[in-house]
Amino acid sequence: MKGIHYTISILTIVLFFSCCETEKKRMFTDEFDRSEVLTFWADDIIIPAYEQYVSDLQSLSDQVTIFYDDSSLEQFDLLKDNWLSAYKSWQHVSMFAIGQAETNEIRKYTNIYPSDTELIESNISSGVYNLMLPSNFDAQGFPALDYLFFGVADDAASVIAIITEDAYQQYIIDIVSNLTSLSEAVLNDWKGAYRAEFIANSGSSATASFDKMANDFMFYYEKFFRAGKLGIPAGVFSGSANGQSVEAVYSRNYSKLLFDEAFKSVQQFFNGVSFDGSTEGPSLDVYLDYVQGLTEGTDLKKAINDQWAIAASAAEEHLQDDLKALVDDDFIAVLTVYDEIQKAIVLLKVDMMKQFCVQIDYVDADGD
Amino acid sequence: MRQTIKYTMLIAVTGLLLSSCVRDTKKIENPAVYNFERDGQSTVSFSGQTTRIGMATELINAMKDFNVSAETMLEMYANETATGGDANPFADASFNESTKSVKSKVAASEDFFTSNTSEAAVIKADIQSWIEAQVSEVFPNQMELAEPGKAGQASDGTSTRYVNAKGLEYNQAINKSLIGALMLDQIVNNYVSTAVLDAGTNIEDNDNGTVVEGKSYTYMEHKWDEAYGYLFGASTDASDPLATLGEDAFLNKYLDRVNADSDFSDIANTIWEAFKLGRAAIVAGDYTVRDEQADIIRKELSKVIAIRAVYYLQTGKSGLPASGTVFHDLSEGYGFIYSLRFTRDSNGSSYFSRSEVDGFIDQLMEGNGFWDVTAETLDSISEAIASKFEFTVAQAAN
Repeated sequence: MKGIHYTISILTIVLFFSCCETEKKRMFTDEFDRSEVLTFWADDIIIPAYEQYVSDLQSLSDQVTIFYDDSSLEQFDLLKDNWLSAYKSWQHVSMFAIGQAETNEIRKYTNIYPSDTELIESNISSGVYNLMLPSNFDAQGFPALDYLFFGVADDAASVIAIITEDAYQQYIIDIVSNLTSLSEAVLNDWKGAYRAEFIANSGSSATASFDKMANDFMFYYEKFFRAGKLGIPAGVFSGSANGQSVEAVYSRNYSKLLFDEAFKSVQQFFNGVSFDGSTEGPSLDVYLDYVQGLTEGTDLKKAINDQWAIAASAAEEHLQDDLKALVDDDFIAVLTVYDEIQKAIVLLKVDMMKQFCVQIDYVDADGD
Repeated sequence: MRQTIKYTMLIAVTGLLLSSCVRDTKKIENPAVYNFERDGQSTVSFSGQTTRIGMATELINAMKDFNVSAETMLEMYANETATGGDANPFADASFNESTKSVKSKVAASEDFFTSNTSEAAVIKADIQSWIEAQVSEVFPNQMELAEPGKAGQASDGTSTRYVNAKGLEYNQAINKSLIGALMLDQIVNNYVSTAVLDAGTNIEDNDNGTVVEGKSYTYMEHKWDEAYGYLFGASTDASDPLATLGEDAFLNKYLDRVNADSDFSDIANTIWEAFKLGRAAIVAGDYTVRDEQADIIRKELSKVIAIRAVYYLQTGKSGLPASGTVFHDLSEGYGFIYSLRFTRDSNGSSYFSRSEVDGFIDQLMEGNGFWDVTAETLDSISEAIASKFEFTVAQAAN
């Protein structure tokens, strides 16, 4: 008799799941403790990643001061090294557009590219600008520093001669200061009241932390990782490739490195690997296994990681450090990598989100 | 007793859930014409498709006009300048104002090309290269007689064909390739696909009759109509288009041609009935019936491409040795073969891989191309195409 009971229960659960898929509404409550996932995300990924980022920005800020005291080639090299370290750290926090990061729109002030270099030059020459204005999103952040450190002249000595002019100096200081204050605001929020608020919001609704983070992850993957780093430069959306649209276009040799860093952060987040790589905890992967244990579906976690492994080897095979040159010479090679990154989207955005019954909270614009 | 109550409740719960999931399976009536209304207003809209058919028509006509520059033709293809600026290449002013283009929807279906942008880019570039070659290879030889290895004129009865060094008419290659790369691909791999019809909250919205802001239709209704528009968007009366079938130079025209073959005399009606019933099923919220109609549309439209590919290869074969007449037939065949890539079988894949299609084309263009292609080659390609479908080479050939 007990056998029948279980059979019916399982049947009921299966029905609940299938309903959730077709009705796009949450019609079941699973027993999975989402707050454990949220706690791991906050304590082992987001806060440590932000601590690293803020610390790297502090080093950059310090080096700016040193460089303007001693504008030698050696100090300029160190300045560029610090810029790159902070830019890499940024790749690990960019996706977390939640809490203060959502409110202060840190991403828009930090990494909108390609930069509007005419606007940057006119801001500098006029000396009158407000970096908090949306119209200045593409005149600041790491891309603007990329231009100022690598793009204003052909060789380092000439660059130094230009950026040590007072107006340039002030602009660089202001950009770094803006990056610093925005990131500190986010970190302080996490270390203050927001961590508890984030974890306590452990329900399942459009405004619950889990649903929002799952959406943030997906949105980041589609827009900033897939489209921003590869798709837009390779002309997927416009129909014409444009090497000038790659990330870090002026320094030339870091686009792939930043792509790799972002890809790493995506995979770590999904698989519940802590920021420092030392521990593992519950994340999308564990939750996915849990829900799929109930429905006995295909192994999505494996399918997603397998696809990423294919994408990673395609990236190794086809991408090169100087991504601008590659886009201009052979954009099809970039599209080959883009396609492998894209293939994971159906698994993540459709299959995984359905399992979680998380509604996608953003829309893709379609032509007609 | 308690056990019994428990089971009863569980069964009751199960029943409730079932009823919330499964819809009434009452029969959906297939309307006589493609007219659908909500609150007295038509919900049918496919102006974007009519526009693209019109743009493609201007492009293929321009390719036969020796006064038109490559630049203008490329602008007709992309509806923008080479540097992405606003272009006004069309005679129809409304096309110039439109933000739509042929190019943006070439090899652009959700199912086939979202994760296959590298192949899509190659296809878009193929068409672009044919436009450029028409101007750089064929136009300069307007007053030359074509011969093996040399572009120029070739006589086809009372007509004159302008071919490249291998006997290919680029304008025909583009015309017939667009039937697959634009019309067929957008219909069978995009607009009747669940990935598009059911995207976002489309099912919920359609179930609740939630219309697109400022419009009379739901997204799902509109997506289906957009599929319909790529086939019937240029018809005089698109609500009842079979009476005047053949009113564009693309898929509609060749559906008419295939339908005129007594071996396939029901095909146009089958497709039209499926479009109407599928649309009625969307109104009724019956997505099973809808998807069954989508399968019919996919199967039959894919067949149209394959039948015409075989037809032109066989007509070309019967005209051998090489002449302007043969070149014309084989150029049309070339385009339909190129279009095979966009067909869709019942498993959701193309009937033909990229390498199969490339292999056919390489066989046709080997050496001096149409000048020295053999009957054996044309037969073997014809057989290879027909073998994937339920028709014979002989049925397609007449």
